[in-house]
Amino acid sequence: MKLAVISCIHGNIEALDAVLADIDTQKAEEIYCLGDLVGYGPYPNEVVEKIRSRGIPSCQGCWDEDIVDGLNACECSYPSQLAEYRGHLAHEWTDKEIHPEVREYLATLPITLKKDNLCFVHGSPNSQHEYLLPSMDGFAALERVLATDADVLFCGHTHVPYERKLENAALSVKVNAVESSETEQQFQVPLKRIINAGSVGEPRHGRPNATYIIYDTDAAQVTLREVEYDYEKTCQAIIDKGLPPIFAWRLAKGMEFAELADDPTHVCER
Amino acid sequence: MQWAILSGIEGNLAAYEAVLKDLRQLRQLVTELYVLGDVVGLQGKTEGDNEAVIRRLRFPGAGELKPQVCVGWWEEQCFSLHGMSGLPDAPELMAAVGGDGVKAMWESVSRKSVQWLRSQHFGFHEFDCLLIHGSMAGYADELTPETPAIELCDRLIRADANHLFCGRSGRTFECWVTPAQLHSTVTTLDGPQPTQDQSKSPRRIIGVGSVGRNPGEATYTLYSPGSNQLSFRSVNYKKANYRPAKREKAKGFIPR
Repeated sequence: MKLAVISCIHGNIEALDAVLADIDTQKAEEIYCLGDLVGYGPYPNEVVEKIRSRGIPSCQGCWDEDIVDGLNACECSYPSQLAEYRGHLAHEWTDKEIHPEVREYLATLPITLKKDNLCFVHGSPNSQHEYLLPSMDGFAALERVLATDADVLFCGHTHVPYERKLENAALSVKVNAVESSETEQQFQVPLKRIINAGSVGEPRHGRPNATYIIYDTDAAQVTLREVEYDYEKTCQAIIDKGLPPIFAWRLAKGMEFAELADDPTHVCER
Repeated sequence: MQWAILSGIEGNLAAYEAVLKDLRQLRQLVTELYVLGDVVGLQGKTEGDNEAVIRRLRFPGAGELKPQVCVGWWEEQCFSLHGMSGLPDAPELMAAVGGDGVKAMWESVSRKSVQWLRSQHFGFHEFDCLLIHGSMAGYADELTPETPAIELCDRLIRADANHLFCGRSGRTFECWVTPAQLHSTVTTLDGPQPTQDQSKSPRRIIGVGSVGRNPGEATYTLYSPGSNQLSFRSVNYKKANYRPAKREKAKGFIPR
């Protein structure tokens, strides 16, 4: 069976429509969404309505959480101070724009979705704010998958799609404890995968095209999809609706253009 | 150089005094004294013991080491009770000890003392060691020999240290974790990236014991950074109305 997994739509209805049309051509039987339906983009209400009307199960993203609970993230959940400043502007605009029933819907979204041996989260199983970058230490990445009891962990949040296979993992643990004799155990872990769905509405892979993934559950095969759409329409709407023009500029470039965090795996607890 | 690493006094002044006495009797001088949180708690014999423990830590006697203290689970509960953290009303404390326990904590630690506790460290990075109450995943993270191997491995990676000393479990143990191999392949929109084969040298997590949680027996850890030598100490003391007595015994356990 083919699944489509989308993430980080960020109020970009043009991109969502283009991706949904592309999913139809791929003949995916089910669609899962990894959250961040709102924020940055000009059509948060329209995006949520479309996701609801299509009956697409969705996790709660960090932006969805912030719109429900108030802005509770600190600077360490943004890639940079500049990104934090821009994020606050986008939050204020979205917070004013959002309809009450949309806010209520976002509050109902689960942190995690599961289907058989697949698990779907926004950032990581630990937090909607944690970035699972492809450069993350392999053993730490493996821990995130094993924490879910799944074989495949789907995530978003970084806005750059990738597939990571983690194979032939072996660990040993030798325990000395006062209350028992020394023990040593070996652990082998079969193949696990992390699949990042990229971003429908705010891509950061260097091009303005929307990204998402198709996963074939029978063949365990991943296809990273890149979909062209009329991003200039969204850019114009960003400006027309009074959002900071920088969001239009970076959407057109497909880049964040800000320095990376020192420690993107850091989880904010504030 | 030898460190004494304690955790979990939990307001048990008698237990802390017993450990200090044991430290004085060691053949090798202790050069640093670390207290990995849970200074306060509900193990004191009197309501005043939490304050007395804090005074003892803040103002050590002549010739005694000044302890380096980091915050633990009980301190976080105090911060929550006193509105000094993001989580108000200490729901974790309420779940753990109920309303009477919450009241006892509220009454036994003054706001001034909570402010002092708030100024203490999150943990200590010394040489290739991290000394912390729980782990970098949080103050409530309870690492034990039964914790899944991959989780122990993750905590060591997050610690960015070869030796992770922690106190949350209250147990004394040493877990050597060897991430022996991992084959990682990343594919992006640009195609497959070079594969990576990973392995790491053995690293360990050390449970430093608990001074005050188990009445009558205090446990703590000695560590020599120069030689990586580790030993666990167990100190028996009289449970109530602590008085130094001859029959009190201390024993050591050196992990193989």
